[in-house]
Amino acid sequence: MYAEHFSEPATSHVASAPIEHQFYPYASNGGTILAIAGADYALLAGDTRHITGYSINTRFRPSIHTLENLGGPERAIVVAANGFSADGDALVRRLAQRAEWYTYNHNKPLSVSACARLVQTMLYGKRTFPYYVHTIVAGLDESGRGEVYSFDPVGSYEREQCRAGGSAASLLMPFLDNQVNKKNQYDAATGLPQVATDLPLEETLKLVKDAFSSVTERHIHVGDYLEIKIVTKEGVKVEYFPLKRD
Amino acid sequence: MDVILGITTANEVIVITSRAFVRGVSILKADDKDKTRILSPHTMMAFTGESGDTVQFAEFIQANIQLHEMRNAVELSPSAITSFLRNQLATSLRSRKPYNVNVLVAGYDEAKGKPELNWVDYLSAKVSVPYAAHGYAAYYTLSLLDRWHRTDLTLEEGLKVAEMCVAELKKRLPIDFKGVDIKVVDKDGIRTEKVIE
Amino acid sequence: MSDPSSINGGAIVAMVGKDCVAIACDMRLGMQALTVSNDFPKIYQYNNTFIGLAGLATDVLTLSEVFRYKVNMYNLREERDIEPETFANLVSSTLYEKRFGPYFVGPIVAGINSKTGKPYICGFDLIGCINFAKDFVVGGTTSHQLFGMCESLWEPDLEPEDLFETISQALMNAQDRDAMSGAGGLVYIITKDKIVKRLLKTRQD
Repeated sequence: MYAEHFSEPATSHVASAPIEHQFYPYASNGGTILAIAGADYALLAGDTRHITGYSINTRFRPSIHTLENLGGPERAIVVAANGFSADGDALVRRLAQRAEWYTYNHNKPLSVSACARLVQTMLYGKRTFPYYVHTIVAGLDESGRGEVYSFDPVGSYEREQCRAGGSAASLLMPFLDNQVNKKNQYDAATGLPQVATDLPLEETLKLVKDAFSSVTERHIHVGDYLEIKIVTKEGVKVEYFPLKRD
Repeated sequence: MDVILGITTANEVIVITSRAFVRGVSILKADDKDKTRILSPHTMMAFTGESGDTVQFAEFIQANIQLHEMRNAVELSPSAITSFLRNQLATSLRSRKPYNVNVLVAGYDEAKGKPELNWVDYLSAKVSVPYAAHGYAAYYTLSLLDRWHRTDLTLEEGLKVAEMCVAELKKRLPIDFKGVDIKVVDKDGIRTEKVIE
Repeated sequence: MSDPSSINGGAIVAMVGKDCVAIACDMRLGMQALTVSNDFPKIYQYNNTFIGLAGLATDVLTLSEVFRYKVNMYNLREERDIEPETFANLVSSTLYEKRFGPYFVGPIVAGINSKTGKPYICGFDLIGCINFAKDFVVGGTTSHQLFGMCESLWEPDLEPEDLFETISQALMNAQDRDAMSGAGGLVYIITKDKIVKRLLKTRQD
């Protein structure tokens, strides 16, 4: 009788070992970004698919942000932070705020190089709890030339002609080396290595669309739509290009 | 931290082995000549790895090569010997207790009239190379050899490069390896060319 | 980095063209970050069929010898050359034999069927699952980069010389973005009555 009273029910949660719960503060949301600088333009492109694991959260979440600037539409800066999108959004929002304050404090446009240095300090400021993102900043310099800056999660950065970031960066980057920087290509007449020259915008756009179409075939994180933001002296132009949805 | 180094020249292979026999933090012997075995008149092997395994494996190979030569009255080429050695090591790799031995096989191929050096690691990855090293010595000497090695080196030039490597190792390796034995394999067989204390 | 399939490094790729196939590999053999040799080809020829073996170097060598033995036995038994399709199945069953203690390789096979004249390529995982591809197959530590290059450079019905340029550019630019591969390249262009072997001189870092 007592035995029955004190015996545990079959569904008891009293465990022999303590159950550990751990909070992991990061996630990966897929997607890929790509930036190329030209003589009179800078271009930043990224797919609009947003995922967690094998699930597609949405097929259309544009991720290339435009920072309005003093000095007219041609001074606008485009930025994307790919990886953990919550961190990416937080970084971009804070960057937009800091960029706005800069124009109020100094009454002059924020240059892309200054913006890049600002991004570095913001990323390194969270050195011990980093924004889990690969960041790319692009725009035009004072003379109207395109410039691209890319960052690692803790703020190490470099100015480059082109850069791919995100899930499929490893697929895109060698293609860019080959087609934009003419790596491993030689002049048939002289036998000398070909030198990288600024590509015309039309050619770059074709290249970017081809690159993303190819990467979509082979990487499940990439697809749905391609968003391309192009900064020229006319300002920022946005283009959308359909990618495969499977 | 044993030093095992091989360099081919135009007509010979130079093999360099350190003289310290080390166990843990102690040097048990300062004039160790035990890091090589002669496999045939024109082929020798140098080895590093787990003590016990090394000599056991080397002498097993040595005995089998010698037996083969006695039975068949032919000298095997260095590449044939290396193939046999690799095969034994590869078989052992997927056994209950694999040999943990890294090997250099240096030889002079009489038929081809060419020196030959083979690099084999404990996983039995094998490759024929102009110069090679095992262990930490590789990190310090391969860059020097990239710079100074030529396929048409004379013995004197080869020994000079060898001494550069030893000098670098003396400077950079954190423990004293008690000098080296320098052996040479050429058309006349195997000899100890020189000892650096 | 103690993952057996990425200790030694390597890149392999095969492509189909118009009445031709191409297969290419890098020339590096390393131990982790240290390059031990820049003369370690990973493509083996058996009759008119080629196999690229990337992965753990010891298994690359062991398998190349196993396949040599098996193809020689096939030749003696059948008194004819082995066809690429047959060889692919031989590779598959050889790998699956070691299902629970596998060889750490990712092979690819390329050749032209001597009866039909049809180009044939395929890839495998380490336990022998065959990937029948119509366009190209890649393998090794550089597979991501090779996928990116091949998917954007390859087009159908390339002539042998154009196929050579395509596969070479795919290989070189891919291996330049992988620290574990490189140190030269080796390309075979295979047509029904001719095999052309070319060595690519590339950067050594």
